[in-house]
Amino acid sequence: MLEEEVKTIDVRGLFCPEPVFRTKVAMERLSIGSILKVIADDPDAEEDIKRWVQKTGHELVSISKDGSNLTFLIRKKK
Amino acid sequence: MITLSPELLNKIGNTPIVELSSFSSSKVKVYAKLEWFNPFGSVKDRAAYWMLKDAERKGLINRGKHIIIEPTSGNTGIALSGIARLLGYKVEIVIPEKASEETKSILRALGADVHETSDDLCPRVGVGTDQSISLAKAIAKARPDKYFMPNQYENDANFLAHYEGTGPEIYKQTDGKVTHFVSGVGTGGTITGVGMYLKEKDSKIKIIAVQPQKQHLIQGLRNFEESNVPSLFERRMYIVDEWYTITNEESFTMVKELYSRERLLVGPSSGCVMAAVCKLVDKIDEGIVVTIFADDGRKFKSLYTQQGVFTSNEFDHALRNATMLSDSLLII
Repeated sequence: MLEEEVKTIDVRGLFCPEPVFRTKVAMERLSIGSILKVIADDPDAEEDIKRWVQKTGHELVSISKDGSNLTFLIRKKK
Repeated sequence: MITLSPELLNKIGNTPIVELSSFSSSKVKVYAKLEWFNPFGSVKDRAAYWMLKDAERKGLINRGKHIIIEPTSGNTGIALSGIARLLGYKVEIVIPEKASEETKSILRALGADVHETSDDLCPRVGVGTDQSISLAKAIAKARPDKYFMPNQYENDANFLAHYEGTGPEIYKQTDGKVTHFVSGVGTGGTITGVGMYLKEKDSKIKIIAVQPQKQHLIQGLRNFEESNVPSLFERRMYIVDEWYTITNEESFTMVKELYSRERLLVGPSSGCVMAAVCKLVDKIDEGIVVTIFADDGRKFKSLYTQQGVFTSNEFDHALRNATMLSDSLLII
């Protein structure tokens, strides 16, 4: 179970690179250690968000798929 | 946010033309059209205004409802931010995070929402402005009822602004005697619009295009060996009679010469086109040569001091002593 407060952004209906851009903006507003939940449905978002999280040094806690919906949990590390 | 008077919209275009006497001879006269007299400080006011009015005429946008979004790093963003706000639209500008802080602060002061892109967003689309173009397109595509992207690189209203405005102004201001028109190329709007109008008036008028060297430092212009030809330019680039390629050094040297010889403090693109004018003047026996100075030097203190064009003190001195500077709103 996650004890941290989770902030959620829904970027369904948006296309690359906007899901990554929205994720980046939301992460900038979080405090370190908090979790961001991102819900996307652009198939490109899986690779793009994964790569962006890895490159920027945050932690990808999980990705889950439900039909066309992709849900990412990302912990802010710095 | 700075206050803007609606009167500013009536002041777009009809910019002054001045003779650069120290570059003229008895047989060859050289004139420059000073586009920094447009209310938001550059030639881009014309394209921004025409693209928005054209979209309104076509029913593509409604005041109070649509948001204008455009990827740009320079004068088009500034022009659109001011003009769209005066017309009653919100504005969002997508800009590479590496763009100058001066530009970002002007955009914010004009009330635009500024989205900064970084090269790691979507490596598939390229770097720099390509990231900004991709994000602006993605935002507009997902919400077509809310966003309108004028897209100066494709929008024919950018051509028309110069075909209907700048071209006739130059013809009238030279009493129809212009023989050569020299212009830099970014979107191609200015050169094709003015060039087409002048050729229709007199097919003997020569249209001369100027590009900076590869890996240049001249904001607003493109080198076509390293950058794509915008579709707006491609449609009518056949009107160009001759090309000149100018180095960074030649451009900056000319910025300095224009100040020392004419007391004009110009932007880098004006130095670039003026260097081409000088090469042309050396080749012709007589004529009336007209060029466009797209913006003044006020936004470029950091660039000019970094490139050794002026020291900080020299720049400040030039700013106080330059002639023909407008009462710009956008003093940083």
